[in-house]
Amino acid sequence: MNKKNAPSFSRRQFTRRTAMLSAAVVLEPAAAVLPDTGATWQGAASDPQLSRESQLESDSRYQQILGLYSDRLDDEQKGHIQKMCAELQRTLDKIRDYKLQNGDAPALYLKPLVERERKPQPARNKS
Amino acid sequence: MLKESVLYSTIGELARQIQAKQLSPVALTESYLERSEKYGPKLNAYARILRTEAREQAQTAEKEIERGHYRGPLHGIPYAAKDLLAVKGVPTTWGAKPFRNQLFDYNATVIDHLQHAGAILLGKAAMIELAGGFGYLYASASLQGETRNPWNLGCWTCGSSSGSGAVVAAGLAAFAIGTETWGSIVCPSAFCGVTGLRPTYGRVSRFGAMALSYSLDKIGPLARSTEDCARIFAAIAGHDPLDRSTLPIDKAAFTFSPAADLKPRALRIGWLTNAWREKDYDPSVPRIADVAHRTLERHFPSVKNAALPEGPWEAAANIVLASESASAFASFIRSGQANELIDPLGQIGGYVNLTVSGADYNSALRIREILQEKMADLFEQFDILAAASLPVPATPLPMDISKGLDFADPLGGIGNLCGLPALSVPCGFTEKKLPVGLQFVGRAGDDAAVLQAGRSYQAFTDWHHRHPTLV
Repeated sequence: MNKKNAPSFSRRQFTRRTAMLSAAVVLEPAAAVLPDTGATWQGAASDPQLSRESQLESDSRYQQILGLYSDRLDDEQKGHIQKMCAELQRTLDKIRDYKLQNGDAPALYLKPLVERERKPQPARNKS
Repeated sequence: MLKESVLYSTIGELARQIQAKQLSPVALTESYLERSEKYGPKLNAYARILRTEAREQAQTAEKEIERGHYRGPLHGIPYAAKDLLAVKGVPTTWGAKPFRNQLFDYNATVIDHLQHAGAILLGKAAMIELAGGFGYLYASASLQGETRNPWNLGCWTCGSSSGSGAVVAAGLAAFAIGTETWGSIVCPSAFCGVTGLRPTYGRVSRFGAMALSYSLDKIGPLARSTEDCARIFAAIAGHDPLDRSTLPIDKAAFTFSPAADLKPRALRIGWLTNAWREKDYDPSVPRIADVAHRTLERHFPSVKNAALPEGPWEAAANIVLASESASAFASFIRSGQANELIDPLGQIGGYVNLTVSGADYNSALRIREILQEKMADLFEQFDILAAASLPVPATPLPMDISKGLDFADPLGGIGNLCGLPALSVPCGFTEKKLPVGLQFVGRAGDDAAVLQAGRSYQAFTDWHHRHPTLV
């Protein structure tokens, strides 16, 4: 598959596509908010679904990738990565918006509930 | 070559004849090989056909059975294994060009289990490169090219177990082994009109399988019926000291007897009202799903509407997957080798995945813990959750996934994030003669319930007996 023929990118997770590229991406100069990495700069994607902080984080993520791998990416790939960074940011925003209590421990190693006792209720409401 | 009707027989039917010495494993293997070599290339179903090895295994099986040493229902039964399972001395490509010459000097545990059961490995099934770990836009994202759907060669089989679905649907082998991280057994089963089981996380050893996402990867069978899946699952499930993620012996093992009661318990089925968004349905699917719903209502004592909990479950699953796949292939990504992948998205997706922070990954794991509790609550009310396997039938080739499979998948996200078992069974056909699947999802560890649901459903329907006509 010739990457030059690739249509607008979206993040693909196996057989599904999570709809992360539904919003139109507007290109605008980003020199005012982004550090100069010396990489070829085509413009930053300002995504209307992202807050200013999230946009900055997405741009920073993109710059980090360019800083490390710019020499092996062509301009089209860079553009796609920029969009993917915005998609990732929207995904991250969703999990960050979910209220977690300090006592909500991670499923450090997935053991389905068959393997352990359920937590007593209502543990999440206690401080 | 044996009649096509024989090659489309269930394992149960083949096993009865093999045990009675009315069917030769050698003849069966030769017929499947001939069919595989005829249709396999047209479908891009195989990464490699193992003619010599399969013949040797078939002759061994036949001699053993002649001597009276019958190992069980998989003895002498030919199958294909997804090309991410290590087979000693045979290239295991992971569907990806950079790994096209990769050799292992050991077998995956699943391969060993099936070998001990006497099954005959016909070949390695084609797959999406690296199981689609960095994302992919096109069905052609495979070393073998796009796999064609036996029901309509102009359609895709879905991925990433694309070859496994095609092999079973086309009658190239009696069954196939696939894997699922997110959708890779359920989707090919639905698109190809076959029965596929995604076991509970930890019930089947992944030793020797390509790791994509350590806490999401599962291995399971695609076959002609639920009973066949149960037989295969019984052979491959179990604790494995070589895979520390497997459940303990008493929780991992599975036994199955076709003589067992079809309804050992009255299943409470929840028909999911929010598995798919209305706007995502292909117009042909809701009608078929409604008929399946009514069939369940007729034959199961309790079928009520149910709803998945609301929350950022797909997002959490995406972060877990992105982070774990980036870790699994970190050196591959950093070295620039990903640029050798076929798909333009696969070439660059890993760079983005590498940037997910530890804090965000950990938050996703904390959300997983909460989701597991919420699903446990739901399974207090229901033994099984049911819905259409997918809102669309097989999509046309050339496949642009960003257009053809553009829908949210909360059931897939939740099911895989929580390691829940799922079974996809055929439940009808569209006007274009493309199969549609019905999905049963159970609580963690209760694979028996999804198998019971599928077995009961298939006792009342004949969709799983239908097969495509190949020219």
